[in-house]
Amino acid sequence: MRRSVLVTSLVVLVVVAGLSLLLATRHPVTNATETQSPLLGHRAPALQGRELGGGSFSLARERGDVVVVNFWASWCGPCRVEAPELSTFAWHERHRGVVLVGVVFNDSLSAASAFAQHYGSLYPSLVDPGGVFANRFGVTSPPTTIVIDRHGRVVATLLGPTTARQLEAVVARVRT
Amino acid sequence: MTLTWLGRAALYLCSAGALAGLVDQARALRAPRASHALRYALVALGGVALAVLVMQIALITHNFSLAYVAENNATFTPLLYSVTGMWSALEGSLLLWVLLQCSLNVAVTWYYRRQRDDGVVQWATLVLFSVQAFFTLLMVGPADPFIHNAAHVLQGAGPNALLQDNPLVAAHPPLLYAGFVGMSVPFAFAVAMLITGRVHERWALEQRRWTVLAWGALSVGIVLGAWWSYQVLGWGGFWGWDPVENAALLPWLTATAYVHSVIVQDRRGLFRVWNLSLAVATFALTVLGTFFTRSGVLVSVHAFSSSTLGPLLIGFFFVVVALGVGLLAWRGDRLRAPIGVDHPLSREGLFVANNIIFVGFALVVLLGTVFPLLYQAINGSQVTVGTPYFASIAAPLAVVLLALMALAPLVSWRSADAAVLWARLRTSAWVALVVVVVLLSRHVTRVPELVAVFLSVMAAGAALRTLRTTFVAARRRGSWRQMWRAPSTGGMAVHLGIVVLALGIVTSTTYAERHEVTLATGQRTVVNGHVIGFYGFAHVNNALLNATQLKVRVDGAPLRPAVTTFHGRNGQTVGTPAIDSTLWRDVYVTFDAVGGTGSTSGAQIQSNLPAGSVVLGVTVEPLLAWLWIGGLMVGAGAALSFVRRRHTEQSS
Repeated sequence: MRRSVLVTSLVVLVVVAGLSLLLATRHPVTNATETQSPLLGHRAPALQGRELGGGSFSLARERGDVVVVNFWASWCGPCRVEAPELSTFAWHERHRGVVLVGVVFNDSLSAASAFAQHYGSLYPSLVDPGGVFANRFGVTSPPTTIVIDRHGRVVATLLGPTTARQLEAVVARVRT
Repeated sequence: MTLTWLGRAALYLCSAGALAGLVDQARALRAPRASHALRYALVALGGVALAVLVMQIALITHNFSLAYVAENNATFTPLLYSVTGMWSALEGSLLLWVLLQCSLNVAVTWYYRRQRDDGVVQWATLVLFSVQAFFTLLMVGPADPFIHNAAHVLQGAGPNALLQDNPLVAAHPPLLYAGFVGMSVPFAFAVAMLITGRVHERWALEQRRWTVLAWGALSVGIVLGAWWSYQVLGWGGFWGWDPVENAALLPWLTATAYVHSVIVQDRRGLFRVWNLSLAVATFALTVLGTFFTRSGVLVSVHAFSSSTLGPLLIGFFFVVVALGVGLLAWRGDRLRAPIGVDHPLSREGLFVANNIIFVGFALVVLLGTVFPLLYQAINGSQVTVGTPYFASIAAPLAVVLLALMALAPLVSWRSADAAVLWARLRTSAWVALVVVVVLLSRHVTRVPELVAVFLSVMAAGAALRTLRTTFVAARRRGSWRQMWRAPSTGGMAVHLGIVVLALGIVTSTTYAERHEVTLATGQRTVVNGHVIGFYGFAHVNNALLNATQLKVRVDGAPLRPAVTTFHGRNGQTVGTPAIDSTLWRDVYVTFDAVGGTGSTSGAQIQSNLPAGSVVLGVTVEPLLAWLWIGGLMVGAGAALSFVRRRHTEQSS
């Protein structure tokens, strides 16, 4: 009996020590991290569909512009942090050959619309019933942002909440 | 400069009181003699009270010689939000925290003043002084609220817009902190019981009283937080499984398990190790929650300052857990009860089920909260765990909990007799069935709603039946006070509150209807049977804010949804929803967009709409107000439970 208490205590202690160490060494989140993706350098998958507001969007039509695709959901906390930043980015870059488009990730239409309205999002968002686009782009969790250059190639994948400044830096790098 | 020195001196006084109390208590334990704990606790309280006074004077008089005031206050901030400005950022929040911790220490040492030579009380006091010293030293060191601001500030930044939009800011954080701080008492006594080895005495029940008080404050604090976000955030929801929300929920879950399982220890002598573990876990989780809120390592809508406190808080968390676990391992063999649960369907069997669910859910929530960090550490990339994960687990567990609430109060201790149980269940089961049939005939057909209603009625029936038994017994003795003193009155009042709350949550989320309507001035439309009319714009421009309001009527009642820009903080703009709330339904109206080229600032501009037209977001949520009513009932029940215990103490 004594042993079982000892063993349990030891296990709990080791787990908690690991958790504490992990948490103590984390840095405050400020930017999204750029990650590797099998899509990098390849032609972006097709992205064509209906927008939340009722319009339609086609990636092929935007050839010649840099396209930033942001996967988001209303239930995702970091997306709430990121939403105003994305609007700022879209507004700054609107005349500079950059298009920002959102894709709703695993969310109800009403919740997504309410989210976009609440944050006064200044960019359109595609609906993605069945997660087709998310699958094509290999997106597993929002927010994920994918940058596509003027020739339609995927040049960057950002995971986590991004900022206007970070996106502007990535786009500037891509333009040249 | 005066305020800086005065504030710092007060904080030094507070830390000196805490540290001296700690040393004196340690020496008293070695001597052994009675300590002067109350005296030192009062010195510490006096110190922090003075510090709070200095901060409040600085905030109310907009004295920007303190950097904290310059950042969280402005010349035009009204009195209420000046006062609450103390907890709108990290350093000031710690001040409130320490004020509550010091008051609690005074309360505990005063309450046990006649037992101050008792080993358990002495060790517990030692632990409480240590906790107090830790949080006070944070302010003396890395989180100094009294940093001097040499620059000349004309106006000040003012609090965050969302923190000056609603008076609930005065109630939600203090209650939440009171709940967090209160959990240090059961922890301190658990440690004391383990060190002295006196785990078989009445201290476990003593702890329950303090825990119920803290639990009640935490519960009401969480519900008020939900109410606040519902009124302010503009999406019609009240809970988002945000890391900071989870941080408050985690200790609530383990504390709920604890207040139940201690009853079993009282009645049957079981679960001693388990109860002490829960007391330790609850306090550890409050520290971990503080870390989540204050370190900035998790992305959260609450977006509090990311500070350097992270490693210190997590270190403290580890010390708390290591101390608790180490002591449990050391004393483990003495604690185990020689008997077990006789029958799975006995009262104690159902308490076990209750505990498994609460603790299991706490683990699930904890995992979901830290999973993004784990994943990032292993994989280098980020993931988000959101509502779908939490809700898919919370919903079935809530159903089982309602079922337990329907059964457990009616089941006997030790044995299970189906016939007796059915006799007690029968009435409420039939009533529940009738209610469900009536709902079906009214075209309420969604299964989750029907299941929730059926179980809620049963649970309410079980609580009412228990209350009636005590009521009858009290009447027989001719004493009304007997009724309030009965052991289960407060608990059953809490159960009734939870039932009301659960019905509110299930119905409002299952039957919420969101619509968007476009209206020109003078136009009306019907949404879900409610007449929504738009009668033009109103502009409010005063010292505090600049708002464009819409004159809207919902079924004749005037509402003013708005887009508000608060001065200061670079003109932060927020949508301000307006709510028409009745007992049966809430109509939640937001100002979503405006037509034309936009002379109206803030709202989204839609150029394809004629100028002067607006887009309104209209959300109709049935029974939403039941959430707040249920939450207040829970608080009242917890208070009743606390008061009741004191009466029995005194009379015995």
